[in-house]
Amino acid sequence: MDPHQPHAFFARGPSPLARLIFFAVVSIALMAVDARLHTLTEIRQGFAALLHPLEVMVHSPVAAYQRVSEFFTTQDTLTRENRRLQEQSVQQSADLQRFRTLQAENDHLRNLLGVVPTLPRPAKLAEIVHAGRDPFTHKVIINLGSQQGIVAGQAAVDESGVVGQVTQVYPFSSEVTLVTDKDLSIPIQVERNGLRAIAFGNGRERAINLPYLPANVDIREGDKLVTSGIDGVYPGGMAVARVTRIERTADSPFAHIICTPTAGIENHRQLLLLAMAELPQLPPEPSKKPVPPRSRHAPRQP
Amino acid sequence: MRPVSLSQIYLSLLAAFTAYLLPWSGFGLVLRPDFVLLVLIYWMLRTPQLCNVGTAWTMGLLVDLASGGLFGQNALAYTISAFVALSYQRRLVLYNEWQQAGYVLLLLLLTQITLLILKLFAGSGLPGWGYFLPSLSGVLLWQLLFSRIRAAGSRDSS
Repeated sequence: MDPHQPHAFFARGPSPLARLIFFAVVSIALMAVDARLHTLTEIRQGFAALLHPLEVMVHSPVAAYQRVSEFFTTQDTLTRENRRLQEQSVQQSADLQRFRTLQAENDHLRNLLGVVPTLPRPAKLAEIVHAGRDPFTHKVIINLGSQQGIVAGQAAVDESGVVGQVTQVYPFSSEVTLVTDKDLSIPIQVERNGLRAIAFGNGRERAINLPYLPANVDIREGDKLVTSGIDGVYPGGMAVARVTRIERTADSPFAHIICTPTAGIENHRQLLLLAMAELPQLPPEPSKKPVPPRSRHAPRQP
Repeated sequence: MRPVSLSQIYLSLLAAFTAYLLPWSGFGLVLRPDFVLLVLIYWMLRTPQLCNVGTAWTMGLLVDLASGGLFGQNALAYTISAFVALSYQRRLVLYNEWQQAGYVLLLLLLTQITLLILKLFAGSGLPGWGYFLPSLSGVLLWQLLFSRIRAAGSRDSS
C-alpha cells in the first residue's frame, strides 16, 4: 500500500494470529481478575488520578459554556425562581420547626424506652460532572472523591428522594449508580402498610421493579415506597419511588410491579451525599463450643 | 501517500481518546461513535506495520480504564476487530470507497457484538436495538472524515 516503506511485503515480528491469541488471553485473564478478585482497584485509582488533568481540560469548554449561559439567564426566570424558592423556604421552615419538636419528643421517648439514640448524619453537597461513559448503565460521575473523604457505599439523595449510591471512588471524583440501574437494590417499605421489600433498578427504562412479591400482595397503584433504613446505608423514611403499574398474570406466582423514582434523577446537577451510618452493635456471638458436625443448622465457624 | 510517522499515529489516537472523554450526555451519549476504534481502523488499514494488534489492545485498555467498566472488555473487543481488519488489509486496496465503508461497518458491528457478549457474561441485561446506533454513526463519520483525508493524501502523492 505504501511504496516508501520497503518492509511492507515482509511480515515482521510475530504473525497477527499469534498476537491475537496472546492479547486475547491477557485480556481474558484481566477480566477474570477484575471480576472475581477485585485487586485492580489501586491501578484504576492511580490511572484516574493521572487522567484527571486531561478530563478537566476536556471539560473546561463545556463548563465555560454553562457558566456563560447561566450568566445570560433572563431576569424573568430569576424572579420566578426566586419567588418559588421563597415559597418553598417558608413552607420548609414551618416543617422544620415541627421537625425539631418531634425530634426532641422522639429522643425523649427513645430515652424512656432505653433504645439507642439515632445519630445525625453529616452530608456533603456534590456536583454531577458528566453522565457515565456507558449509555447502558445508569451512572453519573460527581466531583468529590476520596481526597474529600467520600467512601464507596454512601447514599446520594436530592430534595425529593433517593438518587443512588456511590459505587466507585477515585481520588478526585466518584461514580454514583442511580436507582434505575440494574445492579442497584434498595431495601424499601410501603408507606401505607409498612410492608418490607427490596426494590431493584429496571436497567432499560427509567423505572424500578419490585420482584419476588406474591401476586396477592397488598400493594396498590400510587403507593409510596420509602427506605426502610434497616441496611445502614439509607436513613429510614426517604422517598424512593411511587408504584405506577401492577400486572398480575395467571401464569406467574409473582406480581409484576413497576415504580417510577421520586427523585429527579436526571434533572439536577447537585446531589447530597450522606455519610455512612454506624450500625448498632450486634449482640455478642454465642459461646464458641465445638459443634458436632452432624447438626446441619449449626452456625458456620469463621 | 506520504509516509506516516509514529507521532502522527499517537497524536491522532490521543485526539480520539479526548473526544471519547468529552462529557457526552443524553442522545449524544447513545449516538456517540467509537472514535478510538475508527482511528485505529484507519491506521491499521493504511500502515499495518506501525499500528498493529498491540496498539489496539493498549487503546482498548485505556478506554476500559476511562469508562470504569470491566477491565479488559474493550481491549479484547478491539484486539479481535484489529485481527480481522489486518487479515483482509491487503485485499482492501481493490475495494472502492463504498465497499470499504461496508467493511468498516462490519468491523464496528463486530466490536459491539463482542462487547455485548462479554457484558451478557458479566450479568447485564439485553439492551435494545439502539445499542447498535454507534456503529451507524461511526460509519457516517468514517465517510465524512476519513474518505476526505484519504482523498487529500492521494492528491498529495500525485
